[in-house]
Amino acid sequence: MSRENIQTITLSLLILFLIFFIGELATTNGERNKKELSEYEQLMGLGEPQAHVPGPIEVLKLAVKELSHPFYDNGPNDKGIGTQLFYSILRVLAGYLLAVVIAIPIGFLIGMSPVFYNALQPYIQVLKPISPLAWMPLALFVIKDSILSSVFVIFICSIWPILLNTAFGVMSVKKDWLNVSKTLEMGPFETAFKIILPAALPTIFTGLRISMGISWLVIVAAEMLVGGTGIGYYVWNEWNNLDLTSVVFSILMIGIVGMGLDLLISQTSKYFMYQE
Amino acid sequence: MKKFLEVNQLAKKYPIKGEKNTFLSVFENINFSMQKGEFVCIVGHSGCGKSTILNNLAGLDSPSSGNIIMDNKNVKKPSLERGVIFQNHSLLPWLSVLKNIKMAIACKFKELSTKEIEKRALHFLEMVELQDAVKKLPHELSGGMKQRVGIARAFALAPELLLMDEPFGALDALTRGKIQDKLLEICEKTNQTIFMITHDIDEAILLSDRILLMSNGPQARIAESVHVNIPKPRNRAEIVNHPNYYLIRNHLVDFLINKSSEIAKGIQNNTIDDSEMPKNVSFTNTADLENRKAM
Repeated sequence: MSRENIQTITLSLLILFLIFFIGELATTNGERNKKELSEYEQLMGLGEPQAHVPGPIEVLKLAVKELSHPFYDNGPNDKGIGTQLFYSILRVLAGYLLAVVIAIPIGFLIGMSPVFYNALQPYIQVLKPISPLAWMPLALFVIKDSILSSVFVIFICSIWPILLNTAFGVMSVKKDWLNVSKTLEMGPFETAFKIILPAALPTIFTGLRISMGISWLVIVAAEMLVGGTGIGYYVWNEWNNLDLTSVVFSILMIGIVGMGLDLLISQTSKYFMYQE
Repeated sequence: MKKFLEVNQLAKKYPIKGEKNTFLSVFENINFSMQKGEFVCIVGHSGCGKSTILNNLAGLDSPSSGNIIMDNKNVKKPSLERGVIFQNHSLLPWLSVLKNIKMAIACKFKELSTKEIEKRALHFLEMVELQDAVKKLPHELSGGMKQRVGIARAFALAPELLLMDEPFGALDALTRGKIQDKLLEICEKTNQTIFMITHDIDEAILLSDRILLMSNGPQARIAESVHVNIPKPRNRAEIVNHPNYYLIRNHLVDFLINKSSEIAKGIQNNTIDDSEMPKNVSFTNTADLENRKAM
């Protein structure tokens, strides 16, 4: 291992230690001093632990417990963290893939034709900055299904980055490469698949990555609204239960899964990168 | 002998912004022809429209007026019959060297099987001595190697006419020399018809049968057509000993330094009649030059 690697790992571990240390110092376990309470107060349950922001060790204990049985199902209000995450990922993938299938061809069209680009530009510019959650009431009314509505919200939030990046990637294909396709007498489809697509793929993947990031951000909020299942619902449910340990634990899980999804796309994109 | 390529009254004009019906004429009255198997270089200062002429020949750009006829057909759009080697090699960076060439071959020779395509690609890569770099991606190659891949790709397509736009402009002198030798050797074997732009007059003399000299732009013309009367095969070391070498070289230098701007002025002031252009210039021996001076 190189010197630099050792330094990196040491620093990383130090930061982890600091988080634990400061976390433990800054939080309490919610226990109250029972000696100061009268017998009546103790009988009234005031001696029970108070709701409190959990320390790192408490979260860790819950994490071990939850992650050893991630897929249990004790009814609608008590499902394992794995089950909840699974539902969320499923919704994200459904909305996201739908967006990919629609946005890439349209992006191609916009990128290849200035007419389409200019004609669609105002609509895209108006639709793009709309918070995806603003669509929710409309989606609920039209679709009449809360799960499909959250899928639609994911779709509408992930379509724009993919669309614009695809169009941008297609537009910025080097003229030299297009000249190569012209001198080789390639037809429009051959040019699209053999020259423009591979040339634009790195830019398209940038869009895919941004969209995946946004989708994972939005699904939590969407599920808080529609409820039922999913990690967003889980967080909100645990807040209603005033179980802040579970809340912190699920926050952590949202981060880890988000990282995993991002890694999935960035690793895939490596196969399509090229260097000039 | 029948002419293989004919360029008639070619002109390129761009409208000037803000002014109606006024045009900037890059070049006009461009007339020249080429025969099959001929290697023609075109030399001129920057801005005289050499690259535009080449793009017109390729069919990538269209002239404002005039026409280009190759093999009795009007050149209107790009075709596999006219290969182009671009200055910046334009290899596709996501394909390996071999795949770049295989893709091009597959476009031209649609009847070939995958194996035959690979065989042909390897053959031409061997010709430019890149058989050990077939799996590499373009960015892993040096500038000279990339340009050699470009040459292999162009020759693998066996075009009727090969157009080269300053193919060695970006290379250092030593690499350029090596690739010129390679090109000389390949041309000797294939008798390829080539039209090439260059800034390097030594390169032009070494490689070509005829050198077209362009006057300065705007309103540039092909003013002279200089025959390189030095027998082939040539090589870099011996060519300088030929009696015509320095005659041609001095003539070219004189043209580029003095005459190209004089002609440009003459054309703008209407004091030069360009109906006879390009003027044929030929050197046969030293005595001939003395005669020409005396005239």
